[in-house]
Amino acid sequence: MKKIIIIIIFTIAIFFITIFVKAQQVSLSISPPLLETIIKPGKSIMIAYNLKNFGDPVYLLVKVVSFEPKDNLGNIRLKKEFEGPIKFSLDNANIQLENPFFLKTGDDQQILLRIRVPENTPQGDYYYTLIVETIPSGNLNNNSASYAKISIGSNILITVTDSGIVDIKPKVVIFDVLSKIKIFNQKINIFDSFDKIPVVLILENRGKNFIKPEGEIILKNIFGHKEKYKIIPKNILSQSQRLIEASSSSKISEKIEFKNSSFILSGFFIGKNNLSAEIFFGENSPKIFAKASFFAFPFKLISIITIFLLISLEIIKKIKKKEES
Amino acid sequence: MKKIVNFLFFLFFFLLFFSTTIFSVNMESSRFKIESANTSIASGEKSSSNYKLSDTIGQIAAGEFSSSGYVVKAGFQYIHSIIPFRFSISNTNINLGTLLPNTPATATTVLTVYFGSAGQYQVTVAESHPLKTLSNNTIPDTNCNGGSETCTESIAKTWNLSSAYGFGYNMSGDDIPSDFNSSSKFRPFPDLSASENPVVIMSSNNVGKNRQATMTFKVNISSIQPIGSYQTVINFIATPSF
Repeated sequence: MKKIIIIIIFTIAIFFITIFVKAQQVSLSISPPLLETIIKPGKSIMIAYNLKNFGDPVYLLVKVVSFEPKDNLGNIRLKKEFEGPIKFSLDNANIQLENPFFLKTGDDQQILLRIRVPENTPQGDYYYTLIVETIPSGNLNNNSASYAKISIGSNILITVTDSGIVDIKPKVVIFDVLSKIKIFNQKINIFDSFDKIPVVLILENRGKNFIKPEGEIILKNIFGHKEKYKIIPKNILSQSQRLIEASSSSKISEKIEFKNSSFILSGFFIGKNNLSAEIFFGENSPKIFAKASFFAFPFKLISIITIFLLISLEIIKKIKKKEES
Repeated sequence: MKKIVNFLFFLFFFLLFFSTTIFSVNMESSRFKIESANTSIASGEKSSSNYKLSDTIGQIAAGEFSSSGYVVKAGFQYIHSIIPFRFSISNTNINLGTLLPNTPATATTVLTVYFGSAGQYQVTVAESHPLKTLSNNTIPDTNCNGGSETCTESIAKTWNLSSAYGFGYNMSGDDIPSDFNSSSKFRPFPDLSASENPVVIMSSNNVGKNRQATMTFKVNISSIQPIGSYQTVINFIATPSF
């Protein structure tokens, strides 16, 4: 009889335990992560975003905010206020902008974002982020606590133009190797032949519209051998600069010294090496060029060989002395 | 008797499985059922002409298309496919427990970003306001140990003195700011109620697959801190680059 009572109590306890489980994990995905559009005033487009909930059931809210570039690394700063004449709305039957909705574990929600560019919208670029944010829930009653509000975003780059022609005004700000050697405060581009050589390329967009650089960086060594590194086409927003990355011969290290470089050259270098960059911004756009060079010598190898020779000579001398005595 | 015991064992295991079903039913509150109905309406729309239109636009947007008046491109050209951007947090309710004077309380949560092999992203953080009770007693944001070890919203410094009070956080793991170079380095959260800007706590230029970092929250109060339940909301915003 005791066994029966224990089983009944245990069964009831499991019921209660199950009821009081709290949803705590949030995991959201959004696709596409970036949208670029060139559009005429007076036109409207609808974009289907896919939102998926991989975490616990959650209440969500969709909104659109303006953003601006924060630095030349591609980071953004969300603005507190919505700016610009572009109109956003949702074509969904069940959700609206800034109105909460519920999403179950494992469920998808298609977000049908309508982007409308009113007539007489000034030509130029407008940058926004579609944000999906959670509504913090939970009550830890008498305990002190922090509740996390999670937001996930997808950026929207809008170029408004009547003619479809975009303003391309690029400028090379820096194209050089990052050398640590300085003589009389002058940077000298000399490396050891076995060193990893960080290359930096920063472009400035002086135009009214965002641009996407393409092209390659060519390394020509002392023997005339050429190595090509393809530029990764990342957008440069209007009136901003961006560190341009290229497919690297070596993975960019997590080390701070390499963090702000476009790509890393690795291998064995000797003598004078010339770097040239050829950059263009889409079909029929003019090319821009930049050049840099560096010297490399096997300092470390020569040092090791010299030390080895000196030690060997010393040993030979000692052996000879011993033999003579 | 044996039959009864067997029956109860059967009942126990049956209920064990059944209780799992109850669990999901319980998650579906009356409000949830309404959403579920909406979902099926949306599913119905999938086959309607309206919904087909959006699907079509989604597909076309995946590539490049040109028509009279607009061009749309979706995703990153250099990745050659539309990889979803995913952000996770292991625990949204960060319980700091009952606070005791001069006894630091800590709690952790894990942030994870999934973004293909070439994605660029950032995660920012800010608090809605300092930790406070309903009667507006507040725990100030930490200055860390003070003096030469005074931390700011953008620079982490050592915070290991039991006589240094406040609320702050430490980061460890992937793609975190370089000033979080030990478990005793802390920063205060930027305060949105004081118009401070969110700060980047995770970012990467070229690697975004399964990047994981642990945030440790720490609070330490003095003996004159009024008793109460201190709470705030921490805002995490994850965005891909452009």
